[in-house]
Amino acid sequence: MFLTLLPEITLVVLAFVVLTTDLALDRQSRAFLPYLTAAGMLLAVIFTIVFALPGDKPQLIFGGMLRHDWLTFVFRLVFLFGALATVLFSAGWERVARRGEYYVLIITSTLGMMLMGASADLVMLFLAIETTSIPLYILAGFITEDDKSTESGFKYLLFGAMTTAIMLYGFSMLYGFSGSTNLYWIAGALMSGELPFISMMGTVILVMAGFAFKVSMVPFHFWAPDVYEGSPTPIAGFLSTASKAAGFAVIIRVLLTAFPLEAFGGVDWTMMMAIAAALTMSVGNLIALAQTNIKRLLAYSSVAHAGYILMGIAAASELGGLSVVFYIIVYLVTNLAAFGVVAVAERTLGSNDLEAYDGLSRRSPALALVLLISLLSLAGVPPMGGFIAKVLVFAAAVEANMVWLAVVGILNAIVGLYYYLIVLKRVYLFRSEEEDKPVPIPRPSAVALTVCLIAILVFGTIIAPWFDYSGIAAGALF
Amino acid sequence: MQDNWLFIGIAVVIAAMLPMLPIAAARILSPHRPNRLKNETYECGMETVGDTWVQFKVQYYVYALVFLIFDVEMIFLFPWAVAYDNLPLLGVIAGLVFIFLLLDGLAYAWRKGALEWS
Amino acid sequence: MSTDVILFLGLAAVAIGAALGMLFSRNAVYSALFLILNFATVAVFYLLLGAPFIAMAQVTVYAGAIMVLFLFVIMLLGAEELRKRGKLGWQQPLALLLGFVLVAETAYLVFVRGDLVSQIVPAAADYGTPKDIGILLFDNYMLPFQVVAVLLLVAMIGAIVLTKDDRKIERKTSEEKA
Repeated sequence: MFLTLLPEITLVVLAFVVLTTDLALDRQSRAFLPYLTAAGMLLAVIFTIVFALPGDKPQLIFGGMLRHDWLTFVFRLVFLFGALATVLFSAGWERVARRGEYYVLIITSTLGMMLMGASADLVMLFLAIETTSIPLYILAGFITEDDKSTESGFKYLLFGAMTTAIMLYGFSMLYGFSGSTNLYWIAGALMSGELPFISMMGTVILVMAGFAFKVSMVPFHFWAPDVYEGSPTPIAGFLSTASKAAGFAVIIRVLLTAFPLEAFGGVDWTMMMAIAAALTMSVGNLIALAQTNIKRLLAYSSVAHAGYILMGIAAASELGGLSVVFYIIVYLVTNLAAFGVVAVAERTLGSNDLEAYDGLSRRSPALALVLLISLLSLAGVPPMGGFIAKVLVFAAAVEANMVWLAVVGILNAIVGLYYYLIVLKRVYLFRSEEEDKPVPIPRPSAVALTVCLIAILVFGTIIAPWFDYSGIAAGALF
Repeated sequence: MQDNWLFIGIAVVIAAMLPMLPIAAARILSPHRPNRLKNETYECGMETVGDTWVQFKVQYYVYALVFLIFDVEMIFLFPWAVAYDNLPLLGVIAGLVFIFLLLDGLAYAWRKGALEWS
Repeated sequence: MSTDVILFLGLAAVAIGAALGMLFSRNAVYSALFLILNFATVAVFYLLLGAPFIAMAQVTVYAGAIMVLFLFVIMLLGAEELRKRGKLGWQQPLALLLGFVLVAETAYLVFVRGDLVSQIVPAAADYGTPKDIGILLFDNYMLPFQVVAVLLLVAMIGAIVLTKDDRKIERKTSEEKA
């Protein structure tokens, strides 16, 4: 039983070691802390693959607190990968590179995400969400001498606390209806058919408020651009990828297990999710058109991508689940690469305005290439991974008789392509006066960017294995 | 069970009465002829200078935060201590891990100077 | 009327009075003190419901530590008395309306649909004692318990990172090394 939890235990030990090392050393000798953190996370990845492989049958462990299945497994790797890349990007970001507590907070947040992906109990789920969010609130406001960062942390905290309170209210109702906090028990109680439709739907809405905040679903998306803009850039990347993936991991598990469609009879949450998906991608893409700051642009783009992923959830089918998992994996590497480029460029350019990116391809061809590949993948251009991911979510929507949703999705993809190309036009075609000044890439960032780049291309060209793995992971829900 | 609490309730009422009665009695029975000298602060320090609603230092706030965290820790450790005899070895170890993690937090607060009055 | 009902009615009056006092007091410090009284009364309600552990947590954490924090923040910001009414335009009638709806709803539940409540069986006398909670905490809920430890560690780090001046910390550490 403890072996299945070994990756999480590794992270707790790692957090302890990093914090203690930070206390024992002075500022100069702390430069190796990011590498220590990265090594520990790599160890957790190895432990996940070697010791914590789920068996054929999913099992409930620790008194029903966690569910150990393929979905848990895949999401564990997703979160660990996101955290690893974030740590490597941070190593080249001078303001945080030598702060031990910064890495401790990333580690604990990752731990919370891994528990979120596995939670099968409301108590555990709530604690996991808090363990994820509270370090992220602190990380967003980590640079206390920068007012923007402080504002970002504060906004994130206020918004998060409000939605968490609403979600907790929903949890308490679920407990009241079913007399249990276990998701599988709750499903049974709701299936008994004694509950009026309005109570169930009301509870879905309350519970979804908290999850919607984590994935920045409309109308809970207002925080995203402000928080991304102010927080340290590697953390903005972490928020838009791993944290969002954790939110989706919880949404698919809770909606599909605790609120089975059979319990509703006719009208159920799929319609609500479909409308939310359409709104989320449209709002995200349309506002992104008007942005002049690359971090805000990527923030609205990540809102739009949450909308695409919600399409797969609205489908509520096996193909839908598969498309969600596949999309999250591809989106993770793609968006990490995009934010990684911004973090690297910010060091030299000193600004996140789109104008600063003029002529980047002449100042650093490699950086411009990574930005090209990642933005094209976000736009869904073949042969990048983003193309396959988009095709899958559209297919899931069509299969679930939501052709209108797929049409909205395709229109949105076109809008998205437009603003991604605007950025690329600046990078490749515009000239600037500072073209002779190169943009150096710190080595850890280069490693992370290379891995992300290869992953984007591999996901887009060699599709079959990833398709199968996503299918197995999503299969754990049905 | 409830009866025990009833006694505590009665004790609370009596405890509240003990100081209140003499004060009330003094107010009712004593002659009331105040003058400036009588109204001055005595035995409890000096006459205050300026406004008594002063602004506190930020340092108090950090202390209160650290105190709050250890207060919550205490709440969690209390049941552990009470149920100690009935716990399996694993439970005892779990409690120790809990304490060690928070000791690390204390060490952090100490090392970063949060407990110092600067 | 049994002692429980008398006790409940008396305490309810105190709780409501304290809540109103908190709302209408013009001085933030008095408001905070009224809130402490309110918390303490609620703690006694928990006792009446047979949950002594929750009552203890309510007193030590809420009425104790959190209110100390509140008072420090009030004093930190300067505890000036409110001079005139704040600018609450459309919020005030809306709040009154919502409050009225809540009262009407509760009254409906208690007086018209009172049968819904009567089915609740009171918990056993020794239910929810610290010992029971301890055994449960280290059996079924061991993992959440450990997660709480991590969460508290994070809270500690956050409290210090966000309140302490970074440069001051660094100077202090480097001074010690020198």
